[in-house]
Amino acid sequence: MSLAAEAFVSQIAAAEPWPEKATLYQPLKEDQILLSDSASSLAVQTFLRMCGLPVQVSCCANAEYMSPSGKVPFIHVGNQVVSELGPIVQFIKAKGHSLSDGLDDVQRAEMKAYMELVNNMLLTAELYIQWCDDYTATEISRPRYSSPYSWPLNHILAYQKQWEVRRKMNAIGWSGKSLEQVYEDVSQCCQALSQRLGTQPYFFNKQPTELDALVFGHLFTILTTQLTNDELAEKVKSYTNLLSFCHRIDQTYFKEDKGSRSV
Amino acid sequence: MAEPMELLCWGGDWDLPSVHTDSLIVLTYAKFSGAKLAVKSIDWTWRTITASVPQLHYEGSTVTEPTQILNFLRKQRFNADYELTAKQGADTMAYIALLEEKLRPALLHTFWVDTENYANLTRPWFTSHSPFPLNFFVPGRQASLALSRILLTKAESPLLNITEVEGKIYSEAKECLNLLSHRLGNFHFFFGDTPTSLDAFVFGHIAPLIKAPLPSGQLQKHLNQLDNLCQFCNAILKNYFNASAEKRTDCSPTTIHDPVDANLQKLTQLVNKESNLIEKMDDNLRSSPQHRPHRHESKPLALAGERNSTPHS
Repeated sequence: MSLAAEAFVSQIAAAEPWPEKATLYQPLKEDQILLSDSASSLAVQTFLRMCGLPVQVSCCANAEYMSPSGKVPFIHVGNQVVSELGPIVQFIKAKGHSLSDGLDDVQRAEMKAYMELVNNMLLTAELYIQWCDDYTATEISRPRYSSPYSWPLNHILAYQKQWEVRRKMNAIGWSGKSLEQVYEDVSQCCQALSQRLGTQPYFFNKQPTELDALVFGHLFTILTTQLTNDELAEKVKSYTNLLSFCHRIDQTYFKEDKGSRSV
Repeated sequence: MAEPMELLCWGGDWDLPSVHTDSLIVLTYAKFSGAKLAVKSIDWTWRTITASVPQLHYEGSTVTEPTQILNFLRKQRFNADYELTAKQGADTMAYIALLEEKLRPALLHTFWVDTENYANLTRPWFTSHSPFPLNFFVPGRQASLALSRILLTKAESPLLNITEVEGKIYSEAKECLNLLSHRLGNFHFFFGDTPTSLDAFVFGHIAPLIKAPLPSGQLQKHLNQLDNLCQFCNAILKNYFNASAEKRTDCSPTTIHDPVDANLQKLTQLVNKESNLIEKMDDNLRSSPQHRPHRHESKPLALAGERNSTPHS
């Protein structure tokens, strides 16, 4: 969307209250969704729960294609469709709910910087492990990604997605990295997050912000997703304050699902 | 240290030791940490197309990429981040990620994709600094790499056209610059009074943007309004690179020359604003002969003639 159209849409958005039937779309939970998409989706769900806005989660095989930007998750609110955490945060801010209002300019700069760190390192590492590591791609990513489709579409779509992701990795210079280096990067990122969090309950002390939602989404998904090996989860587990952070948010915001989740 | 470490990088111009962001980051960090580097410029050599710059050679090993080189220098005990707390170290990583995600695409676009800048500044510069016959290939290759990087990382699937992405990346870059300005505040450096690797990264990104005489630079204009970042940049140049900020007087009316005196700064700002207005009214001001900067003297006349006849909108 061009900037003018975006501004216009957010003005319209501001006029309407949050409807009862807001829906969040993501790929199929059991069979299709992959680590990176699951992490992004959980981050958005956490953010919405933190704002106290109810949303129904709807799993569709073609969620990626329905999304206006090609990325999941996206939310359907009233007659608007918004995808990805960044635009969703802005959209919800236009509706009058915001978690980061209490921050001053320097803190807001820090929050944005840390969100970029998570996107730059964790999300890219997740994509790399899923699609550029041949073993994981063959065993897990391709079969899962193409599971709702029949032959030959499943092969075509899976390879197309893999090619796209590899091209992107090439463009940003990650294609030359080995898996060990990627794990090392994840470890450094977790170390930075751990040092920033310290002993506080949330990143900006008392109140959760979108940064907390984003970090929770990624870390929780990494901890609870079964990959070909557990090295990624081990890297995260070595930082105890991050573990307790995830646990705390899980307890606070996902109480009713407590039975089905375990860290 | 038996022999000095050798760094390969692009050459310098416009008051800067190097015009290439990554090379500038490494050079600045070396100055901050006191590492002695033997700087070898790859201009006019075949390395312009074969080497991935910057590259550090030491005792047989080669390191590329700014982050890797900085890690290597730290291991050699040239550490400018020694006094940072753990939290500040984490902040450094976060801000570097912010620079890469938000500012770098817009910088790439300004220098390599924007047609006016590319045709009038970047391509002539890189062409004149590459040997024959590479001068036909080097700029084009860099430009297509830049374009593909922007499209692959920033363009969502319906927005595969570069013009639609432009608005988004420039607004994100302006926001990033504002955030950096807020974070810097009134301090000399990002973490107090001593420079660290974050200062090197920020300097490497914004210095070319401040100093390059860009024909169409909306991001440059925005940056020039952020006084503390301009002061930061000029202070580093003056203190660490002994560059005289007075060397060039008129090739780019939007650069701020004297960072020290606040009143003088306000006056120069007013003058800059005024000359911007004049520039808008008079298209030919920049391309008239007396304003041609001396670096174009060695260029073939054809290029200079082309510059003169290109109208600026």
